[in-house]
Amino acid sequence: MKSEVLKICSLITVITLASALAGKAQERFVFTPQWKAQSQFAGYYVAQENGFYKEAGIDVDIVHPTSTQQVMSRIRNNECQATTMSLCQALEVIDKGVPLVNILQTSMNCAIVIVSAHNVNPLTQKGARVGIWSSGNGQLAECMSKKDGLNYQWIIAANTVNLFVAGAVDAIVAMNYNEYYQLMQAGKQLSETNVYRFCDHGYNIQGEGIYMTYDYYVKHKDQARRFAEASRRGWEWAAAHPEETIRIVSKYVKANRSGTNSEIQTLMLKEVLQLQIDRESGKREFRLRPDMVKRASQLMVEGEMIKREISYAQRGHQPCQPDVGRGGASDDGHHGPCGDGFEHGNPNCGA
Amino acid sequence: MATRIVERNLDLPDSMFAYSKAMLLNNPEFYNHSIAFEPFYYQKYGRYLSAYSKRDGNDVKVRQGGSDAYQYYYMDWYLLPQLLEHPCWTEPYLDMDVATGTKERVASYCQTIHDRSGKVVGVVNTSIALNWLSKTIEERKPYPNSYVIMTGRGGTFFAHPDSTKILCQSIFTGTIEHPDTARVALGHAMQRGEEGMKWLNYDGQDCYVFYKPLGDTGWSVAIVCPENDIFGDYYKLRRMVVALVIMGLLVMFIFFVNIITQQLKPLRLLTKEAGTIASGRFDIVLPDFKRTDEIGQLSESFGEMQQSLVTYIDELKETTATKAAIENELRVASDIQMSMVPRTFPPFPERKDIDLHASMTPAKEVGGDLYNFLLNEECLYFAVGDVSGKGVPASLFMAQATRLFRTLAGEGFSPEAIANSMNSALCEGNDTMMFVTMFIGVVHLDTGQLDFCNCGHNPPLIDGEFITFKYKNRPLGLMDGIPFQGEILADIRGKQFLVYTDGLNEAMNTEKEQFGNERLQEILSTSRQFTACQVVDMLKEAVEQHRAGANPNDDLTLLCLKIEKRDNETMKQ
Repeated sequence: MKSEVLKICSLITVITLASALAGKAQERFVFTPQWKAQSQFAGYYVAQENGFYKEAGIDVDIVHPTSTQQVMSRIRNNECQATTMSLCQALEVIDKGVPLVNILQTSMNCAIVIVSAHNVNPLTQKGARVGIWSSGNGQLAECMSKKDGLNYQWIIAANTVNLFVAGAVDAIVAMNYNEYYQLMQAGKQLSETNVYRFCDHGYNIQGEGIYMTYDYYVKHKDQARRFAEASRRGWEWAAAHPEETIRIVSKYVKANRSGTNSEIQTLMLKEVLQLQIDRESGKREFRLRPDMVKRASQLMVEGEMIKREISYAQRGHQPCQPDVGRGGASDDGHHGPCGDGFEHGNPNCGA
Repeated sequence: MATRIVERNLDLPDSMFAYSKAMLLNNPEFYNHSIAFEPFYYQKYGRYLSAYSKRDGNDVKVRQGGSDAYQYYYMDWYLLPQLLEHPCWTEPYLDMDVATGTKERVASYCQTIHDRSGKVVGVVNTSIALNWLSKTIEERKPYPNSYVIMTGRGGTFFAHPDSTKILCQSIFTGTIEHPDTARVALGHAMQRGEEGMKWLNYDGQDCYVFYKPLGDTGWSVAIVCPENDIFGDYYKLRRMVVALVIMGLLVMFIFFVNIITQQLKPLRLLTKEAGTIASGRFDIVLPDFKRTDEIGQLSESFGEMQQSLVTYIDELKETTATKAAIENELRVASDIQMSMVPRTFPPFPERKDIDLHASMTPAKEVGGDLYNFLLNEECLYFAVGDVSGKGVPASLFMAQATRLFRTLAGEGFSPEAIANSMNSALCEGNDTMMFVTMFIGVVHLDTGQLDFCNCGHNPPLIDGEFITFKYKNRPLGLMDGIPFQGEILADIRGKQFLVYTDGLNEAMNTEKEQFGNERLQEILSTSRQFTACQVVDMLKEAVEQHRAGANPNDDLTLLCLKIEKRDNETMKQ
């Protein structure tokens, strides 16, 4: 009888544990990359397709925005739990009063370039009409325009390449892994003369990273950590298996009708993976550099993009510790930044 | 038209929906239509006012097209006409209707809306579906494998037989990593709105691409015609012609080789038989080809030649035998002739005062020259002669002359008496009119006086100088009756006396140059102290050198004589 009771108890325990694990696996997590499906987000597709997210116990749903939709509006509307943004874009959002946490920094460099449509140095095109993304990622270009006295007339568009090809603008702000190759595919001649690379002119500010709101982060630190780790794992796998990665990307491209091709996506992946390597260490670090935050913040203040500098670590946080859970709140009772602080929940920070 | 209506009714924003719907209802070729305004142009509508109409079956539905998810004022169709400041077409794009889940390849014609002050306040956008256009054009196939492509301003395909390339690839795709200057040049030409034709390798095939702009849209249409399609029949015909020519040539080659082989077969047989005949078998029987053409004639001639050759060889054998007999006889005659002249030197060993040496070398087996001498007490008779002609007749005449000289000299006659007697004897029965030139001399050894009679012979040399004759006698044997006259040289002792025939001074080399009197005198001038034998040998050697391998053109006879004073005479002096 006693053994029967034990057996029943054991069975109940197993069922309970299985249910708990199953419930954990059902954690739904909507991730919105900031643009349409392409190799720029290959690591996430890989993590999804290879089951890295599932292994981390997260049911990730990758939902791309529309061409004119700014990703922050999705976060604000609770349409997604995390998104990708550039460092400068994140600073601007924080400055507008939305505390953010960087849970994984993928890019270690700046991918932004300006391409002149008139085969001249973009720095000589004062007052020119320059196309810039409506998705809101051109803060650095705007800072540079002000700082260098170029006074560009910004033409905000969903597709700057079409304006460029039609001869409607004098130049466009482009990503060296995306529009740059689209222009080449449109038969445009790009050279050192008509391409201005920010990374080579003192503007090498880290680009893309994964962000979530501070509030969500505080409540889901473990989930954020697992998502970040699985995403990183996806990127590392992509770097090791570029050909298989392109096949996975193609699947997402096709599903989202992105209107691209494997040649462009292969070039893009190669460039994005290169951007992940820190120029100084020569390694793929997956961390947000404090000096980069400081530099970006200073540039944004000088460019009047934000009202005041946003520092890297606020109020005694230890955001660079491997423990993600400690990135969001401090021991002194302060909970998160209040518009003037920048949280970092990157488990790889300081690695 | 729509734009003007909108501009006239800007104060009636609600009516924009009706205008948009009416545009679609009145223009069945339109795919959709929208009248969009600047953000917050109408406060009533807030940020967005885009009267968007779209067909729904036979009906047209109109709704607000702008939203946070679709901020139309960032779209190409809204921006391009403003930036370009003229109505324009957008790049073809895939229109996705999320609500209905439909998609369509479309292009939009866009025109700005101005308010009364001329300020741009919005854009009218009319889209047409491109499927029908690309379908219509794609059906135009001048050749079975040709196809049509259409590209936008950026070279992006919006019509292509490979649907996966439409709006995904451009004409430049693939040239980034694998540069293809021909393809890039074609793409640029199409982008520039040019019209023309290019030949290039397109997608792995040699093609002719004919391209032309599509009005003022900025788009271009091109027909890609594989070269094989255009020139396929021509290439096929060319291959057939080449194959036929090669086959014809091959057949002709085999045919002619066969013919030539057949025709040349008798010749080969004849060649083989000729080889056999050449090896000495003259008696073989030639094959009968039973032909009357050139080969038959050649065979017949060859047979005749064989017979002639056999006859000739027989005659040759006979002639050779005869010649051998004659040569044998001539050798005997030569021996006899040579035995007729003294050949033992010194001839008078007991007489130290006489240094005499002579030599006769016939040009043929037997010659017509002669020399002779004999000692009759204190008189040394000698003679050197040259019979007209050569060979056996001359040798016989020489033999007779020699016999006469020796007989007459032995009788002790004077040289002119010997000449007269010899002349009479030789003239007798001389029907062949042969003659002999001769120098006949006798030296009185005790005084050294030389009596001589020169019968038409070359003048001898004494101490290298030619003797000048007082009298000019004719050769012996020509005419009888006229006496020969003799002459005297007082004393020839101690002097070198040389008598010779014209085989010496007229000896010729291969260049037909004569030995010459000058050369003779030159040699003799250096040989005064030489013995008679040395002088004769030296002259013979000089003649041999002069001929330099040429056959002797005449008999050569030399006689050198040196008479020394006897000891008692020397003492008297």
